[in-house]
Amino acid sequence: MNRPYHAAPLSRRTILKAAAAAGVAQFAAPFVITARAADTVKVGMIDPFTGVYAAVAQNELIGVKFAAEQVNAQGGVLGRQIELLVEDSANDVGTGVEKARKLIERDGIQFLIGDVNSAIALAIAQVSNEKKVLHIVSGGHTDGITGKDCHWNVYRVCNTTKMEANSVAELLFNKYGKKWHFITPDYAFGHTLQEAAVADLKKFGGTMTGNELTPLGTSDFSAYLIKARAANPDVLLVLPQGSDMVNCLKQIAQFGIEKQIHVAGLQQELESLEAMPPEARVGIWMFEWYWKQPGVEGVDKFVADIRKRSGGKVPTARTWFGYTSLMSFALVANREKTLDGVKLAKALGDFELPADVKLQPNKCYYRKGDHQLMTSSFVGQALKEGKSDPEDLFQVDSIVAGDKTSPPESETGCTLQWPA
Amino acid sequence: MRDRMIQLLLFNVTNGLIIGAFYVLMAIGLSLILNLSNVINFAHGGFLVIGGYIAYTLEPYLGFWGALVASPFLTAIIGLAVERLLISRVYGRDPLYGLLLTFGLAFVFEDGTRIIWGAQGKPFTIPAFLSQPLSNQFFFITGYRVFMVAMVTVMIALLFLLLRFTRAGIRIRAGTLDLETVAVLGVNARALRSLNFAVGIFLAGLSGVLAGGQLGLEPTMGAGLLMPSFIAIIVGGVGSLVGTLVGGLLIGVASGVTAVILPPASEAIMYVLMAVVLLVRPRGLFGEEGMLT
Repeated sequence: MNRPYHAAPLSRRTILKAAAAAGVAQFAAPFVITARAADTVKVGMIDPFTGVYAAVAQNELIGVKFAAEQVNAQGGVLGRQIELLVEDSANDVGTGVEKARKLIERDGIQFLIGDVNSAIALAIAQVSNEKKVLHIVSGGHTDGITGKDCHWNVYRVCNTTKMEANSVAELLFNKYGKKWHFITPDYAFGHTLQEAAVADLKKFGGTMTGNELTPLGTSDFSAYLIKARAANPDVLLVLPQGSDMVNCLKQIAQFGIEKQIHVAGLQQELESLEAMPPEARVGIWMFEWYWKQPGVEGVDKFVADIRKRSGGKVPTARTWFGYTSLMSFALVANREKTLDGVKLAKALGDFELPADVKLQPNKCYYRKGDHQLMTSSFVGQALKEGKSDPEDLFQVDSIVAGDKTSPPESETGCTLQWPA
Repeated sequence: MRDRMIQLLLFNVTNGLIIGAFYVLMAIGLSLILNLSNVINFAHGGFLVIGGYIAYTLEPYLGFWGALVASPFLTAIIGLAVERLLISRVYGRDPLYGLLLTFGLAFVFEDGTRIIWGAQGKPFTIPAFLSQPLSNQFFFITGYRVFMVAMVTVMIALLFLLLRFTRAGIRIRAGTLDLETVAVLGVNARALRSLNFAVGIFLAGLSGVLAGGQLGLEPTMGAGLLMPSFIAIIVGGVGSLVGTLVGGLLIGVASGVTAVILPPASEAIMYVLMAVVLLVRPRGLFGEEGMLT
């Protein structure tokens, strides 16, 4: 076939449109895992399996799948097997909402898990609330989910940003100093996390030298780091997560900033530490769950079981979030002998996790007033190299119970409106 | 106070030039392909990621330097295969075909990377002597960043020499202006386009290795680096490699300086700059007259 070389001239407008489309490119591409059977209990899960949070979302899925396998082996929920329907939110609010509607309206799920992204978690909670489906937010941290935007049908497993800040702030202040500088991701999660830390800092009598708001997906942090070092703080708190955190700490190490200023932060994850070179693994942080807890019942077995299912990788906090979300539903449904959303939501208030699910030394329970799980913070230091295991990259110094880090129910701003 | 502000600004201008140099390397490859083949290569970020991951995989065997040399060539070979099998089919068609094809390829590359190397980021380590600042005062000028700028400079110089003095280079430049006539004169346009595409992807692969040393290696890293490169091309003017060079440095500096004055706008400033250039000089700073309609 003979085609002219320049059949249609490429206009500037086409290039501009193309550039605009590039932004949209990041919000697409769904995939579906379904295994349909007749008489099953359908559980829906929505998480960002593509995009920047794909690694943590995949670990949550490993935990959910393991819980489903365990529950099914022990007779299922009310004698019926759990059928898992997994959807990709692609890290996009609109897609997440669309998937939530699909799962609830078309597939008829009885229980919903998700999302890692706080904004999506808030949005799909509105859908699950409207449809009266019990919903556990596995990994979205922003305070509102169990605060001012709480719903009667929505529970949360991971910490609030307030809990995260409260667990480490005092230690940072006493150990590293009173002048703090922040690098904060510029969206809901970052804002609430930074505000919580500043509130603690002021309470102790410290000062903030500055707060660099960085767009989500920032790859080069050098300009912010130049500013932060010029402000000469005692502590530089790195709040971005995922690949942003990796990029930021990697550049901090290359600039040698950690040799002059204490570098630390609040939330840290194994997924991030593993993605960094050793020299970037510095500072005091909190983990939401850690796989090495000598002497704590059930942890070693859980680690061994997950390793068999993840190609040898240890469970992370995310794996535990996923596992705990589904186990909470199965346990409470079997105890109450019902799948009714309202009855189950009522029963989960004050529900305490048994030892083989909580996998931590402290008492671990859902709070009646705001539906937040009172789960521990694992406070400690990042390690350059694993001592006994290459994945042992965090040294836990203290495990603080959830009801010590969380503000009282009366201060969360949550008022639950139960259906009539 | 004023002195400190000036120092901060100077620091950020320098820093912006370093970042800009990186954008240039990526944008020039993109520009080469766009100019000759009229394909807006959305998969360029995907090739960058592949380049970075190949280097990560080769590093244990070849060391950093070996990986740095081998990876761009391997990426270029993959690029060549993709061009022959897929991209060549949209030549001469409406540009939207190429757009859709490379748009889809970008997804395939991202998910392919995720399937092969996993969703979790990989720690790509660079030699220790590069991984530290040259002086305490200018802590942001690390050995690695100097090396990166040097690499970009050498590559750009080589590319300009290639385009100016070699037969293939002269044909590429001529083809950019009028490929049909060049083909009628007996030049194999098909081979010329393939060669040109491979050179562009070579630069993407090299960008990937260099980025991997400084940033976390992660399947989605290409998307964030692709946008500034597009903006560099538009600001500099489509059809002009010099324009792309200037455009890249300009947006690097603009974004660096804005980070001092109004940090949350440091990303938006690139788009503002693009809008202003398009309003004042719609074909871009160095865009050639009549290159595009």
